[in-house]
Amino acid sequence: MGDYAVPAHFLLSHIVRNKIIKPKPITTKTIEIGTKYSPEFVCTPFKYTLGTMIEGIEEGANILIQAGGGCRYGYYAELQEQILKDLGYNVKLYNLVTAGTTDIKRIYKIMKEIDPKFSILKGIYYGSITKKMIQYMDHIDHYIRANIGFEIEKGSFQKLKWQMLKDFENVKTHTKLRRLYKKYKKEFQKIKTNKPNKTIKIGIIGELYTIMEPYSNYELERTLASMNIEIKRYTDVSYLLFQKHKKIKQYLKNTSEYITYQMGADAADNIGRAKELCIEGYDGIIHIKSSFCTPEIGAMPVLTKVCADYQVPIIFFSFDINTSEVGIQTRLEAFYDMLEMRKKNEKRISRN
Amino acid sequence: MDKIKIGIPRALHYYYYKDLWKTFLEELGCTIIISPETTNETLERGKKIANDEMCLSLKIYLGHVSYLESRCDYILVPRIDNYGTYEQTCTNFLGLFDIVSNLFTNKLLTYNIDEAHHQTEQNAFIKLGLALGKGKEQSILAYQNSKQKEEKQRKQKRKNEMKKLESNNPKLLIISHPYNLEDPYIGKTIKEILKNLQVEYINGEYLIDHKTIQNSTKLSPNLYWKYNKELIGTIEEWKQKIDGILFLTTFPCGPDSLVNELMIRKIKIPHLNLIIDEESGSAGIETRLESFIDILGQTTK
Amino acid sequence: MKKGYLGIDIGSISTKGVILDENNQILESSYIWTEGNPIEAVKRLLKELQNKTKDITIYGIGTTGSARKLIGLMVDADVVKNEITAHAIGTTQFYKNARTILEIGGQDSKIILLKDGIITDYAMNTLCAAGTGSFLSSQSKRLGVEIEDFGTLALKSKNPVKIAARCTVFAESDLIHKAQVGYQKEDIIAGLCRSVVLNYLNNVGKGKKIEEPIVFQGGVSKNKGVVKYFNEILKTEVIVDPNSHLMGAIGIAIMAHQKQSKTPKNLKILDISFETKGRECEGCSNHCEILRIYKDHKFIESWGSKCGKVS
Repeated sequence: MGDYAVPAHFLLSHIVRNKIIKPKPITTKTIEIGTKYSPEFVCTPFKYTLGTMIEGIEEGANILIQAGGGCRYGYYAELQEQILKDLGYNVKLYNLVTAGTTDIKRIYKIMKEIDPKFSILKGIYYGSITKKMIQYMDHIDHYIRANIGFEIEKGSFQKLKWQMLKDFENVKTHTKLRRLYKKYKKEFQKIKTNKPNKTIKIGIIGELYTIMEPYSNYELERTLASMNIEIKRYTDVSYLLFQKHKKIKQYLKNTSEYITYQMGADAADNIGRAKELCIEGYDGIIHIKSSFCTPEIGAMPVLTKVCADYQVPIIFFSFDINTSEVGIQTRLEAFYDMLEMRKKNEKRISRN
Repeated sequence: MDKIKIGIPRALHYYYYKDLWKTFLEELGCTIIISPETTNETLERGKKIANDEMCLSLKIYLGHVSYLESRCDYILVPRIDNYGTYEQTCTNFLGLFDIVSNLFTNKLLTYNIDEAHHQTEQNAFIKLGLALGKGKEQSILAYQNSKQKEEKQRKQKRKNEMKKLESNNPKLLIISHPYNLEDPYIGKTIKEILKNLQVEYINGEYLIDHKTIQNSTKLSPNLYWKYNKELIGTIEEWKQKIDGILFLTTFPCGPDSLVNELMIRKIKIPHLNLIIDEESGSAGIETRLESFIDILGQTTK
Repeated sequence: MKKGYLGIDIGSISTKGVILDENNQILESSYIWTEGNPIEAVKRLLKELQNKTKDITIYGIGTTGSARKLIGLMVDADVVKNEITAHAIGTTQFYKNARTILEIGGQDSKIILLKDGIITDYAMNTLCAAGTGSFLSSQSKRLGVEIEDFGTLALKSKNPVKIAARCTVFAESDLIHKAQVGYQKEDIIAGLCRSVVLNYLNNVGKGKKIEEPIVFQGGVSKNKGVVKYFNEILKTEVIVDPNSHLMGAIGIAIMAHQKQSKTPKNLKILDISFETKGRECEGCSNHCEILRIYKDHKFIESWGSKCGKVS
């Protein structure tokens, strides 16, 4: 999923002796394969991940590891394993999360099965480095998102990021990782931008897979950056693994006039974020999800209400494998125009 | 003082908890108003309010809520999260209360079941009683009485359904959430067609017993949706007695999309997967059911 | 010589062009079928407009519609904008207080909500063709009725037939069924017009607060039957401008005018060769379809590469 293949590969290659096959980036072919063997109306991430698995198997993988939960994501693995079996692939598929909870003992058992010599000390050591690596990556990404739309030399952020990921792959210690992070942080800040004082700022919320896998959202962030828009998004792996359990309580408290309970996956989180974005003065909100994502569908009427109350425009995108790219483009452009017109109008009113 | 009027949408939870609710609320001195049976108009109402991508069953539910608006003091919309970590419900059931409260202005009556976090059904019903201005003791008593009555009714239904397993006609086990099979708009034509074809159909939901859930782990060890677990448990338990299985689901049900697909790949019993959406015409369903029963007749002979 | 501003709206079914004067009033306009070839259509359009306007010099060009980018390159446009914004700007030129724009075109439909001339919300239907112009014209062929007569026939009906119209496939089978059962042609036609309206309001218009004044435009706004049912169902009068089909082109021409370009445009593109060549890239398993654009046999731009490395 996105660039997270790097830390995932890093972790596994250090703690088990098996050969680790990095998933290939998602392409049209991945989706074609995934769709061909998936039931008709599962949510889109099922199709993407199934496609990735088959591509991995063709590269020689015979053990597949997945981590997901909170909605029907947690049940993917069982059906996917059956589908792969029916296709004649003899593989073992592990999901590290069950019924939305992470059970450390279970994970240990799985690791032992994968490699009987798995050492728990090594696991903890490299696990903690990986955790830091993910957090550093996410920090840098936050900075990139707010600035990439204004880079003077096109592609400079992306180039530096690729270089950073490459260096991350080879670290062995916490000290080395921290040093690298500090070095790159400085270099990112050195990249020249021409960011005006008042830019259009948009918050992206929605279903986690679609947000984190750029291929599945038709490179939304890149498109917005090319329109010189500053972007904020909340969902990343650091959030899901290390912050969510605390944040969600806060979100529920802050949005008690709208919702009382959690609504599955990140639905309640997104309602909290939407309100936060409205209060922080963001010009607009984009909500994205894959088609048929039930928790987010449930959140939509609430989001509409929050945004209407604060008079902040929100636009919803539901991505399917067949979504027309031209349609997305037109609607995004119109959204941008709308926000720009509103901004100019606000200025006009405040001047009078 | 006038009795409190409580509206109950005839959809989703209603088909699980109608007996329990009825006894409990009436014992506490409330009047209950149940929305009339689903018709095309219910669905049309629901569609106007619902998001396009919501499942058919939820659209119907919202249609029923819309009917009850301004016809009662409260509408009962529970929030049922889970009966334990491995017995969860679908995310629509989690979100239902908040979805309804943001789409409608009517006052709602609710309770929350989240046993993984120590919110048991009994506690939830005590709180419900308190919200209605009744005492704790009275609420506990009412709950226990309703639970007993519910259990009795469940046992009776199960007995009736078990009898059908002895029939000489082709026996078809229907795996369907009760809010689909028992909803007139979705299930009525299907039941009629089956009757005309002289098929003995067995409602899987009625066969559920305390041990059914354990049986489900043989077919799917990691499944964590209570309602699906119970249903597929009946397959494991009665597979020797039945000739075929009808999977009936609404478009685009999240849990069913995965669980039914897995079942179809695992079980060796003749089966038909029927997915109902807003446009399903009865003619199409009839043809599919007929040809399926023909095949069934040939294999059982 | 008068100064003029050209707006071109290239849709999948029709191509529209207008020339506005300094006061944003229409000097000339033209409306032709795209026939699946936007480049040729625009060449024909420009020829028509040139013949009508000998004494006008164009000082600004704008393009909108689904082929806006391609034609924008071809005519060297000052502004290239999406059709939602173009429609809003065009409409508010004539109806300053308009609150709602309903638009049904050949392949898609939109709704735009405005306040004080500013878009506050919009929605667009791109997935399903049910209830759009192309659906109506294919059904009129099936019923053996000229599309131009469709609206007038619909007005004659007293009992419009109910037609399931959520999806073209279902609508069509339902339509055949109703015709076979023996319903009157005008009742079926009226039923179709009614279902277009219901379908529009239930999909594109879902959850949108439709406030007056309401302006109805796009090709289908010429259909009197559809107008009638909009009035009936919304319980109000929708406004249909005589130039309702040109609003997108007018809007984009206004935006071109706003650019205040000082140099006159050369409309000699008619003689310039303009070509596109498609190919499938074999660089990775994405197999992107790359479109290369040549003006006067010179390569000017390419589109479609996902990785950005290929042109």
